[in-house]
Amino acid sequence: MSDVHRTYEIRCPIHGFVALNDWEWNVISQPAFQRLRRIRQLAWTDYVYPGAMHTRFEHSLGVMHVATLLYRAIVKNSKSILTSELAYNDTGLERDLQLVRFAALLHDVGHGPFSHASEDLMPIGEGGKRYAHADYSVAIIRSELRQAIEEHPLNDNYRFQAEDVAALIAGGARRSKHSVFWRDVIDGQMDADRMDYLLRDSYHAGVQYGKFDLHRLVSTIRAVSYDDRAPRFGIAQGGVHAAEALVLARYFMFTQVYFHKTRVAYDIHLRGALKELLPAGHFPRPVDGELQEFLAWDDWRVLGLLSEGKGGEHGARLKTRDHYRLVFWTPEVPHENDLRQLELLKGRLGGLVVAEEAASKSWYKTGPTDIPVVDDLDETIVNPLSDHSNVVKNLESNNQVLLYARHEDVPKAEGIVEEVRENDRSK
Amino acid sequence: MTDLSDERMALISILAEHSPANRIGRTQVMKFLYFLQVLRDVPLGYRFTLYSYGPFDSDVLADLANAEGLGVVDSTVIQFSGGYGYEIRPGRNADWLRERAARFLQRYRPDVDWVMEKFGSLKSGHLELVSTIVYVDREAADNGEELSLDEIAEIVHEIKPHFSHDEIMNFARWLNGQDLLEAAA
Repeated sequence: MSDVHRTYEIRCPIHGFVALNDWEWNVISQPAFQRLRRIRQLAWTDYVYPGAMHTRFEHSLGVMHVATLLYRAIVKNSKSILTSELAYNDTGLERDLQLVRFAALLHDVGHGPFSHASEDLMPIGEGGKRYAHADYSVAIIRSELRQAIEEHPLNDNYRFQAEDVAALIAGGARRSKHSVFWRDVIDGQMDADRMDYLLRDSYHAGVQYGKFDLHRLVSTIRAVSYDDRAPRFGIAQGGVHAAEALVLARYFMFTQVYFHKTRVAYDIHLRGALKELLPAGHFPRPVDGELQEFLAWDDWRVLGLLSEGKGGEHGARLKTRDHYRLVFWTPEVPHENDLRQLELLKGRLGGLVVAEEAASKSWYKTGPTDIPVVDDLDETIVNPLSDHSNVVKNLESNNQVLLYARHEDVPKAEGIVEEVRENDRSK
Repeated sequence: MTDLSDERMALISILAEHSPANRIGRTQVMKFLYFLQVLRDVPLGYRFTLYSYGPFDSDVLADLANAEGLGVVDSTVIQFSGGYGYEIRPGRNADWLRERAARFLQRYRPDVDWVMEKFGSLKSGHLELVSTIVYVDREAADNGEELSLDEIAEIVHEIKPHFSHDEIMNFARWLNGQDLLEAAA
């Protein structure tokens, strides 16, 4: 029998080493997790930034590492709140660290080929809402990974069920109980996912936009309790500029990398090709009897089919790098007049427009998740980050609309765009 | 933006206008939209999941940010002892967007009035609590479970230990008396 107390370290270009215990090692050795080696993190971004060939596998390990840093910092900085308001004791805190590590490790295990780029091909579920990758992650944890989570000898110390990990990812009330506090580590404005992907994507794309001071931010994070509300994640005042940098890093990465006009064009072609390649035009559902077929879809399979000439017109465009061209775009923050001009232009361009894409993203959300900042001199004074930071407060959401045409139609489309703009200018 | 974004943003401006104080906080926006979707079946398309502060979907805040950007609502931070909040009011372009979403707003206007009547006077902390009770109830109902009010209160207490069991029971009884719980035996 192997040594269940053995620990492992995996090299990581961002964090140096990511440490795992034997239990986690067993989970990542499962085929459902190893599949992430064959799911690229940023789809066809390498057609613009050639270095961006990294996978969900290394990102998932990185998220577990960062989640651990955040967890330990909060316990160190806010143990009294965790014990008095959430009824934690040391055993509970040790237990939930392992739970958070599993949730962080597995939160992306349900991605389809090429990650987010294929998410629109997930089918509509009950209630009329489209399934998301998190629905698949939860289904995979409950089925394919159940045994690896529940039957490792180390689990005799924790008695986890796979459902506990699923509940932390999905927000299940019954099983999560006070552990629901840690959901912000997995999915929040300062979550481990965001902190890892900004640094990792930036590194692999070869840009500097995604950088921020991870360790400064981690050292200032804490649980904050005020106004008879449930405790939530916050920071000490000294972390304001590190938190600002995180928000700005996200803004720059989206505008410069994720929403790059050519990268967005390849998302269009991937979706178009997948519609041709997938039976019924969409992925199987995350339910018994269909999940195995979903797991059989990865980048290798799609690339193999594209290589055989399948995938229709969009498949051919991917293969030959003959992408749609951007012919019109609104400002990042369009106002009434911009939207009116867009509607007018769409009417004039008619069939020349082959795709309309929305580059929509909110950089920072105020309200329940506005990061509370605790005053350095008086801990009873709590103000939101958006109040401390003019930069954050004034960053308006991106709602850019992009119109694309075929390469051969670009001169005609650009002529119409110029005509409409000239008319607007002369009014 | 989603296909429903016009309707959702216009609805937020209506909520702000028709709240008892003619302004609304962000927690109220989140929870009122949750109640509209879950208790009144208004098709908003949000995916609420549970956080320590109750049911939450970041798309609500994205809609709110977009509404601010378009001038559909105005938002200001207000300070009070030991914390802060927001005041959201209809903005200069609220009518413009309401026209675009007129049919939707007309259809669901009675539901807005209903939510305001039932929950409009609750403070943020209690809205977090009441919405968590509803979330626990619906999760159990979706799993085909029947729970006593005491069991519901016990689960909610484990999620939100800073509320006493008695306080949770009071709200659970009130919700049950309004016939708003499905799993409660």
